[in-house]
Amino acid sequence: MTTTSLLSNVRIEKYLTRLQSSLRGVAEDDKQDILREIRAHIVDSAEHAPDPQSAIDRTLRLLGTPEELASRYSTECQLRRASSSFSPWLLFRTCWNWAQLGIKGTLAFFLALFGYGMALGCTVSVFIKPFVPKLGLWTGPEGFGIIIPDHADRMHELLGSYFIPVIAVIGFVFAIATTQILRWMMRQRTPRVASTAERSSQLAQVQN
Amino acid sequence: MAILASLWQSRLYGLEILRALSEKSELDVAEGTLYPILSRLKGEGLLDSEWVEAEAGHPRKYYWLTAPGRRRAREMAGAWNEFADKLTSLVQPVVGGK
Repeated sequence: MTTTSLLSNVRIEKYLTRLQSSLRGVAEDDKQDILREIRAHIVDSAEHAPDPQSAIDRTLRLLGTPEELASRYSTECQLRRASSSFSPWLLFRTCWNWAQLGIKGTLAFFLALFGYGMALGCTVSVFIKPFVPKLGLWTGPEGFGIIIPDHADRMHELLGSYFIPVIAVIGFVFAIATTQILRWMMRQRTPRVASTAERSSQLAQVQN
Repeated sequence: MAILASLWQSRLYGLEILRALSEKSELDVAEGTLYPILSRLKGEGLLDSEWVEAEAGHPRKYYWLTAPGRRRAREMAGAWNEFADKLTSLVQPVVGGK
């Protein structure tokens, strides 16, 4: 099989077409660059093989499905953007995609879910408090938390008129802390040199 | 670190990087993993790349280490050596059967 016939191989074309349509969130120039590189890789892998068709099949299998490959590229792209962003929505969506690639991403997703969930809960409470005066930070037999108690006479409200400013500040702190921790986790993906303390800790783990 | 190290001596394209990893360190990195990592390392400024028209009849994208990439590779290799030395001294009695 010649290089020219490989370049127009139907299976390669089908793979690249699916890859192109799955590369969402990647800039058009980067997308064309990725397609060109993957095409060159498949052709390189097959052109000197004794059985080019089998070589193509093997290479496509090792690349993964176009959707899986696109997802890795898109997630890498998103992670780069999100690690310098302050948008909770972008960070949350990125964590969702990152969660599908491994444990660290899953941890980040649950952290985002908890942190932004708390921030959202606080914000909603602040906005509905003027319309639902019984909403407050209650403690007593019905439990502890931001609730509307069934029997307010048996419960004790902790914040009173400070409810709105205090809960607004708590919500803000949750949002900022979650954002900063997620950005830090995303930046930590870069391979780096472990500190002496980390190396000692690794060594201690091995020795144990 | 392995990908950065494979580019220490020369510019390589994707398939050559895979072969270098496999032949020199027996690391089998899947193609589907390598290219997104190369893209990330390039985005972080550790690698640079350019398309070169090859005699094969189609262009290939060659990668090389940037100055920060060389610095990072050197740091990581140093840290790895230090760690490996300590581990070697730890397992030495086991290997020696003492």
